[in-house]
This record gives sequence, structure tokens and C-alpha cells, in this order.
Amino acid sequence: MAEMTGLERVAVAITQNGQSVPDRVPVAPLVCGATHRFSGQTYGDWSRGIDVDAFVHGHVDALEMLGHDGMVMLLDLSVEPEAFGMPVVYPEMDTAHPNYDNPWIKGPEDYAKVKKIDPRKSGRMKFVIEGIKKLSEKIGKTHAIVGFLYGSMGTLSMMRGPENFFMDCLEHPDKVMPAIKVIDEVLNEYALAQVQAGAHSVCYDNLYASESIASKAVWEKFEGAGMKTVCDTIRNNGALVSHHNCGNGIYFDKIIEWGAPHAVSHAYVADDVDSWEEQKKKWGPKTTTIGWMPPGPVAMLGTPEEIEEEVKAEIEIYAKGGGFIMATGCEYPPNAPLRNARRIVDAAHKYGVYA
Amino acid sequence: MANTEREKQLIKGLQDAVIYYKVDEARKLAQAAINEGIDAYKMTMEGLAGGMEVVSEKFDSHEYFVPETLLCAKALYGALDILKPHIKAKDGGARGQVVLGVMQGDVHDLGKNLIKAIFEAAGWTVHDLGRDVPLAKFVDEQMRTDSDIVMLSAMMTTSMVGMKKLIPMIKEKNPNVKIMIGGSPISEKTVEEYSADGTADNAPNALREAMQMLETLRKGLATA
Repeated sequence: MAEMTGLERVAVAITQNGQSVPDRVPVAPLVCGATHRFSGQTYGDWSRGIDVDAFVHGHVDALEMLGHDGMVMLLDLSVEPEAFGMPVVYPEMDTAHPNYDNPWIKGPEDYAKVKKIDPRKSGRMKFVIEGIKKLSEKIGKTHAIVGFLYGSMGTLSMMRGPENFFMDCLEHPDKVMPAIKVIDEVLNEYALAQVQAGAHSVCYDNLYASESIASKAVWEKFEGAGMKTVCDTIRNNGALVSHHNCGNGIYFDKIIEWGAPHAVSHAYVADDVDSWEEQKKKWGPKTTTIGWMPPGPVAMLGTPEEIEEEVKAEIEIYAKGGGFIMATGCEYPPNAPLRNARRIVDAAHKYGVYA
Repeated sequence: MANTEREKQLIKGLQDAVIYYKVDEARKLAQAAINEGIDAYKMTMEGLAGGMEVVSEKFDSHEYFVPETLLCAKALYGALDILKPHIKAKDGGARGQVVLGVMQGDVHDLGKNLIKAIFEAAGWTVHDLGRDVPLAKFVDEQMRTDSDIVMLSAMMTTSMVGMKKLIPMIKEKNPNVKIMIGGSPISEKTVEEYSADGTADNAPNALREAMQMLETLRKGLATA
């Protein structure tokens, strides 16, 4: 088989799951924040989104050094909340986060403050769209570019503070729901803008669709329909739908029912299976898995041998027949040794060749 | 002493108020107990803690999730605020003491707050340092309170790495203290790598683990 480009490899793994396989298992260790170390910026400045050329050059150089097949356009999970008005803190050496000492939504009445914004003109959403456009021009024909957005529940929870948000979902659903609907509209526009900028896929992060956080009923009530609209927009505009969920016990039945994702990036198995072997058997035919190396214990702290063993084991369990992309289960730790990301790629090259 | 009918009624009422997250009802029953001169310690341990035990079971069996459990904790604290000033020092005392906080650079405190509620309901004294806590503050607070266990929480690898530095700092001052670490990037491997004493994947399991640690600690003291 002729050697494929990263883009072709990823596309076959996702679109021909169970029918055909690429030349080898695609590999994408979700190197997002860690690319600041290729960009010549501090993590703080990289996160602020002040230099799109440095952002692009960081990703391109990371590709050359590490050799992965695709990249995800995640800055951090406060991009969307900040664009709506939530104050964000930018530590120089840590991930940017909302300033929870000063939440933008201070009580149930404040959900009414959430108004529609234009993602093409707002804060770092605009930056992400520009970044995708420039990356697409540079490497869009050879590598998979996956856009990213944080789902409506996640976004709103960061404006209120997750703890109060979760309680409000049960105590004040009538106040929460209108804000969710506004966010849904904006996320829909944001997804479309990312596709139009050149993203081959857009990833919807539905973290709260897991046993780690909320019941199926609560998740469906607040996020199900909105996520469906966003996913339909991605699909109807020619891009692939991907999801990310690093929670434990993911509701695969529900995210497939509402979002029909081509691929899911995940760290743990579904709520209705007990092992990765069962996951492959039950959910493998329905969607491609992007995963699942533990970022902290293995990608960051693992020895070279442990990393290689993990990659080998995951490929043995999941790669047969396609439908698998070797990756970390969540973002590659921005502070982890970059050599380990290369080790993941090298091991995937070594063990991921389809006969 | 056997519970009177009224005590039984209040205990059951407080349990249900916690289980079904009825904050106003919990406060009302706690106030009634105080007004009627009923033992605040008994109401706390049998009523509130009894209710929270059921909540833990519901959490374990995926009947309750984070939103429901947070509301249960809200009901618990509503009643505890009223009962606590009336609990006498001689009333059994705390089961154990724990210093709890989220690592420096990290603001994710949801898991930490659930741990706090479960531990307080079980009769532990919790010294909650909050989120984004400087390393030295954990050491100082353990020394100040002579707590049995220090619990460190991190949701990000960038904050998790601080544990590697902090754990020897705590152990150097007090080699007997037990250290539990938790959060999404933490695994048994991290426990081993950082020389911690344990971890747990949720709040009820953290309580079980802590109870075992406390037993070990106290056995050790008894045989020393």
C-alpha cells in the first residue's frame, strides 16, 4: 500500500471504519497547549491568542518534530465563556482558567445576561477561526485539522462556576435553559465558521455526558438537542463530526443518538461496558475511537518502555479493522516531556502497520 | 440511651431532608431539635450523617450524580450550621482530622468540596484550605492542626506535578501523616511515583480509604 498523508490516514480511519484500513494506525497525541513550546511564546502569551502566526508556526513545527497525523485546535476550555463575558486568568506556566473568585453569573437571575455574540468577531473564538484558516493554508492538504468547541453546559458552567451551575440545573432549570439556547446558537455559528475556515472536522466537547458528572436525563435535557444542531451543521457543511469526553462512563448511547459522531476522543469506556475489548465490540462498529493513553500516568510520567507497551496494547485491542486513532485520552499535558509525544508517534508507527 | 419517639422522628426527618435535598426542611428540623433541647450531636451523626450515607450509596450506584449530591450537601450544611454550635466537645469528638485543598495553580474545587461534605458528615474535622493553595500552606496547616491526613487535589497535570515536591515537604515535618491525592490525572502509578499513601476515584471511596488509614495510624500509635 502506498504511504498515505496524515489527512488520508485519519480520513480512512474515520470514514471507512470496519470497511477499509489506512496504511497504518493514525496517531495524534492531542498536542495542543504543548505547542506553545514550539511557538517561542510563554504558555500565558500563547493562551492569550495575541499572535496567530506564532500559534500556527508552533503547530507546524510540532508536526515536523513529532510526526503526528492531525491536530486539535484547543486553546483551553475558557475560550467560549470568555467571549460571552467571563473574566479569565492567564498564568504564565499553567492553563488559562475562569476567575472563579469573580464569576460573571453570580446568581440564577444573571443567566439572563447571556446574549448572542458573533464568534467571528469575539475574543479568542475569532483567534481560533483565524488560526484554523492559516493552518489550513499551510498544512490542510496533508494533515487533519480538527476544530474544537466546548459544549453549552460546559461553557455555561464556567461562567457560573461548575458547582453552582449543577445545582441550578436542578433548582432553577427555567433560568438555565434560555442561556443554554443562546449559547447553542453561538456554538452553531462557531462550528460553521471553523468548517468554513478549513477544519476537516470539528470536535464538540460534551464532558458532562458521563457518569462522572450528570445523569443521562439531566445531560439530555440541557445539551442533547443543542448538540444535535451543532453536529448537523458540521456534517451538512462537509466536515466530520468528532466528540471529546474525558469523563468516566461516557453515555455512548446518548451521544450517538444526538450527535452521531464519526469519531469520539475519550479516556475511559462507555457506561455500559467494562473493558476496552467490550468497547470495541459494542461501540467500535458505530464510531471511531480516538484514544486512550492516560495523559498523566503514562504520557507524562511513563518510562519509554511503558509508553511503548501502552501503545502496543491499545493497538492490539482496538485497531483491527480500522476505526482507531492512537492518541492520549485527553490533551497531551502542556508540561510533559515532548520526547514522550514523539515516543507515542514512534510506537504507533512501529506497531500500527496494517498487514 | 434509647431514642425517644420524637428523636426518632427528627432523625428520620433529617435523613430524608438530606437524601431528598430539602434545604429548608433540614434547617427547620435542626432548629426544632435545638428548640426542644434534643441532643445536637445525635441529630448530626444519626440524622445528617445517616442521610449522607444513603446519598453515598446512591452516588455509588449511579442513582445520584454530582448535581444531586451537591444539593444533598447543601441541605446537610443548612442543618449543620444550626446544630454545630450546640455540639459539646465531650460528644464523641471528631473521628479524625484532615487538611484538604486544591494544588497551587488549580481552581477546580468541585471534587474537593464533595470530599469535604462527605467527611464532615461522617464526623471528621476538615481544615479546608480552598483552591490554588501555595505548597507551604499545606505544611503549615498540618503542623498547626496536627491532622492525621492531608488530602491534595489536582485536575491538571500542571498542578499535579507540585505534589511531587509537596509530599516530601509534609513528610519531612511529620513522617507519620498520611497523604491522599486525587483528581483526574491521578492514578495508582502517580501515588507510587510521588510516594503518597493512597488515592480514590470518588468521595465515598476516599472516606473508606481514609478510615482505613486512620485505623492504621491509631494502631501504630497504640503499639508504639
